[in-house]
This record gives sequence, C-alpha cells and structure tokens, in this order.
Amino acid sequence: MSGHGTPNRYRQQATHTIRDEPYVRESVLSGTDRANDHRNHAYAEIDADRWRDWGRDAKTHTLTNLDRYLEEAERNLEANGVRVHWAETAADALTVLRGIVREHDVRSVVKAKSMLTEELGVNEHLERLNVRVRETDLGEYIVQIMGEPPSHIVAPVMHLSLDDCRQIFQQVLGTPRHGTPEELVAAARKALRQEFLAADLGISGGNFLVAETGTVALIENEGNIRLSTSLPRVHVAFVGIEKLIPRFEDLAGFIQLTARAATGQPIGNYVSFIQGPKKDDEVDGPEEVHVVLVDNGRTTLLADEAAWEALRCVRCGACLNICPVYRQTGGHAYGWTYSGPIGAIIAPGILGLEEALPLPFASSLCGACADVCPVRIPIPELLLHWRERAVEEGLTPLTERVGLEAYTRAATHPLLFRAGGTLLRRTPWQLGGTALPILKGWTQERTTPEPSPKSFQALWKEGIE
Amino acid sequence: MSARERVLERVRSACQERERTEHPGAFESRDAGADPASRLTTLATMLEAAGAEVVRVDGMVEAGKWVRRFANDFESVSVGVTVPSQLRPTISTKGSHEAALGLSMARAAIAETGSLLMDARDGRRTQLLVPTHVVFVYQADVHPTFRGALSSVRADLPSAIGLHSGPSKSADIAQTLVTGVHGPGRLIVVLVA
Ligand code: SF4
Repeated sequence: MSGHGTPNRYRQQATHTIRDEPYVRESVLSGTDRANDHRNHAYAEIDADRWRDWGRDAKTHTLTNLDRYLEEAERNLEANGVRVHWAETAADALTVLRGIVREHDVRSVVKAKSMLTEELGVNEHLERLNVRVRETDLGEYIVQIMGEPPSHIVAPVMHLSLDDCRQIFQQVLGTPRHGTPEELVAAARKALRQEFLAADLGISGGNFLVAETGTVALIENEGNIRLSTSLPRVHVAFVGIEKLIPRFEDLAGFIQLTARAATGQPIGNYVSFIQGPKKDDEVDGPEEVHVVLVDNGRTTLLADEAAWEALRCVRCGACLNICPVYRQTGGHAYGWTYSGPIGAIIAPGILGLEEALPLPFASSLCGACADVCPVRIPIPELLLHWRERAVEEGLTPLTERVGLEAYTRAATHPLLFRAGGTLLRRTPWQLGGTALPILKGWTQERTTPEPSPKSFQALWKEGIE
Repeated sequence: MSARERVLERVRSACQERERTEHPGAFESRDAGADPASRLTTLATMLEAAGAEVVRVDGMVEAGKWVRRFANDFESVSVGVTVPSQLRPTISTKGSHEAALGLSMARAAIAETGSLLMDARDGRRTQLLVPTHVVFVYQADVHPTFRGALSSVRADLPSAIGLHSGPSKSADIAQTLVTGVHGPGRLIVVLVA
C-alpha cells in the first residue's frame, strides 16, 4: 500500500510509484494539467500580480505582528462564546480533543477536510478512543476507506482513476461495477447524509481565522464543511497559528485569491464564516464551538530567519500542480501530510530537519512554484536554505545530495536526463564509475528483483517528453 | 507555564527579532459594476456559470406568484425563518431533512463572486439539506464587491454566514464535475426588485 512512508524514504517511495504504479502518474499528470489550466485562466481574469502582492503583504504584516493578532483573536473568539485551546504539540491537540470527546460522551464524528487534522493524526486518535469517525469530503471519504492518506492538499484522490473509485464504491456501497461518477456520488450522498444527521461532533480545520471578529473561515465545494459545522451539537475547529488574518474585510482578498490559485474558481462554492455557537435568535447550529490553536512546529518556522516566509501559505496546492517533480509521483512518495514544494519547506520546521530529509533536495529549483504562488513565497530560495542547513549540520552525505539533484534536474530537463549517464560520468564528484549512481542507490534497498536502470530511464523519458 | 504562554512567548520573541511591517490596506479588486443594472447582470452571469438558475421578478407580488407556481411540482417544502409570508407556498411543510424543496432568504448578494450571503438566523438546515434550494434576494441588497458586502454585515454577525455560489459540486472522482454531492444539487436564485 502506498502512502504510509516517511520523508526519509522518499527515494524508494518515488521509485516505487514510478515503476510499480504507472497509472498514478497518469492520473496525477491529467489532474495537475487541468488544475494548471484553470488557475492560468483564473489569474488572467484579474490583475494577478497586484493581488498576489497584496496577499504577500497582508500575510507578512500578520506574521510580523502575530503575537498581538493571536491575542486579539483569542479575545474575540471568547467574546463570541467560543472555547479557545492552545496546543503546543500534536499530543496537546489530541489531549484537548480527548477532553471534549469525554465531556460530551461523543460516539460518532463527522469530519470536514482538513490537512491539519491529518498532520495531527486526529482520525487515528479518535479510533483509539473507540469513536466512529467519518471523513465527509468525497475525496477524503475515498482515501479513508482505502486506509491511505490524501495525496494532494486540495484534491485528495488526484492519484486515483475513475476505475479505482468504481472498485472502491462497488465494495463499500454496492454501486454498479461500471457506475458513472454521478451514480457513485449519489450513493455517497445517501450514506453520508445519515452520518451527518447522527453525529455528535463535527471537526473542521480553518482556512483563515480573523483576529478582529474571531471568525473561522472555511472554503469548499461540496457542502460537507457547512454540514459538519452546522448539524452536530459540538464543533471543534483545529487552526494553525499561522492562519490568522487581521480584519474581516481581508477575507475578500484571501478567499478569492485562494480559490483562484487552488481550482481556478472565482470563489469556493460554499464559504463558511463561523463566529461561534448558536445564538438565542437562531433555530439551529452547534451549541458549543471550540477552536484549538495549534503550534506543532510553526513557531520553529517563525523563528527561522528565512523559512518564516513559508507560513504565508494558504494551502492552495498550486505549487504541487506546477512542480515537475510532484507531477511524476503524486503526493504519497513524499511520505507525509504536505507533499510537493510547500511540504519540503515546512517539513524541517514541523518534523525537524533530519526527519524531513531529503525533501528539500527533491526539487529541480526550476522556479515554477514561486511563479504561481498566490502569496509569493520564495520557495526555491527556501529549498536552498534548508539544503545549506542540512550540509552545515552534516546531515546529508554528498552522494545523496548529488544523486537527488541529478534526479530532480532530470525530471525537468529531458535532454539532460537522456544524457544523464554521460554527464554524471564526467563530473568531478564521480561516484565509483557507476553510470547512474542515483538509480542504483534508489533500487538497492528493494527486496524484489531490480529492474534495469534503462527501463527506469525509459519510463522517465516517456513521461517527460 | 501553560501551552498558551509557551506558544505566545515564542511568537513574541520571533516578532521582536523581525521588523514589523504595515498592513497593505484594503483589498481593491475589479469594479464589478458600479451601477445597479450591471451589478445584477454580473451576479446572474456568475451564478449561471457556476450552475445555478436565475429568475428576475418585479416585486413581491410577482415573486409570490412565481414561487407558488414553482412549488406546485414539489411534494413538500421547508421554509427559512426570515422568508416573508407573501413568499410562502401553500404546499405541505416538512422538516428540512425530508422536504423536497427549501426556500431561504439571502441577507445580501455579491456580484463580484456571484454569491448569496446566507445568515444563520434564516436557518442553516434549510439552506443545506434540501435537494432543491430556492433563494430570494432583494435586488437592492446586491453589493458590487465582496469587500463591500463584508463591511456591510460586519457590525451584526450571526453565529455563521454561508456564502452560496452555485449548486453543491465535486470534481474529486476522476476530475469529473458532479453536482448535488452533499448540499442542494439545484440552486434557483430569485432576484426580487
Ligand atoms: S506555497 Fe504558495 S502555491 Fe504552494 S500551497 Fe502554499 S500558497 Fe499555494
């Protein structure tokens, strides 16, 4: 099963996907092509340069004043009747959740898509507490059934084909073997509707948290987030401390920018602005709302002289879609929650640099990610920053660095890749006369028979041209 | 020291190391029609592009006639709390999780994004659980920009606001767009003059 790796095994995982799961690459290429088209079109309709400048500046302002905005948000959340919790680590966040589960005798949970809850391991924790937890975003529902993590921060099942989905739905919901997407969706709607109506607790993340009004803002298309945050008696939102924005009006900029960068839509089909529990003059809504402010390594990034800029990220996924390295494998090869370029620059803060290696090397530094980022994070510079840091700390052997750089350059430059053997042979840091040392290195640890480097190269060639 | 104090302490020390920058000011977007007529056209065009149906009616009397005619094709209806009595059809009412049709009143609309601003005080379940959702909005409540709409409601916020910009949809399965995933699969917007 793919998707349960670790960053340290990136090379093996990437090799496995490319060689043993060629259909993954096919799905990811078509999914990212589509996303790139949509984003290009959506950027062309607006003054994208100016919007992105605004996004960068508004987030930079927030991060350089994060101390006061966090306190302001806490005050306003509490004034709205929201119970605020602080979690320094994933373990803290799960302890808070356990407390809420016990207090309300929670038996079943509906979850709205949230990468932070993936990062924290919320589902596994709930299962250990014998709580039934159901992902309700269609893509998340599918990966939950498969026992896999999502492979993309916006489109969780970008790595799956229609036929993969049909098989899963046939097994779980009894839909026809050759069911249309409409039939599959109708079956999921019916099954999940019961879960929404019965759940004791709804769990969400938060795209933004407005300091001025204590508003948790969420963007989606299906309606499952609105349902998860409206139907159950209790709602818990896990929000990273970097999600703060100063003013209610700023939502206009951030929501449009995020939607255009993520899916090319002018706005998500549903946007929720949550201020707190049901008020006296309201007929429905949760009686209790909790917001858990999560650090889990974000303050490490904030303290870093360069990497703090990565905290501007709005998790649109554009840098994944455009990344020539991500496009070869999809997200599971990266071995943790956040894949692609953004994952590689926040992993050292959240997991620790040693745990995050070699992800900062898994890039060709082609710069495409920085060109599409809606908040102008200098991703290539930050990748270099972590590479330098890894070298300084003696965490990465030269052979590894050279090999990964060669691999990632090859992903972007087909001509170079075809000439790869020759080039590597000529380089001064020659590695024991192996024509393609990286390929050897990548397959060494496998127990199954090794393919010849040539067939691997042929695969690459096919895909890149 | 509590987790709160430890987190805040680290944030403070990081902020002290770095120059504090200014807020770039209000987000200025395109002008989505300064005059009311082009505002309505933009709103309708955006909504239709997202898969919604748009109806324009000339006043409350006509809106009432339209909804009674429309509702005749449905078995039951769930009606939002703030929907005026003239706009309530005569068919039988049901709970929102059983009703075939839902009627809601939008608090405002946004031309720029093609969105309806739904206030929790109208009832969230009717906005979300019905398969077909009719939303009334007064033409005078259509704002040209997203930011303008936000500043108009900021002083009086309910527990939740939902912006609805089209029928529920997903492209998760093989990047094929399907409507009616969890929310209403059909959205009809009635612009009341
Ligand atoms: S780094 Fe930029 S492009 Fe990548 S997910 Fe974050 S905001 Fe989007």
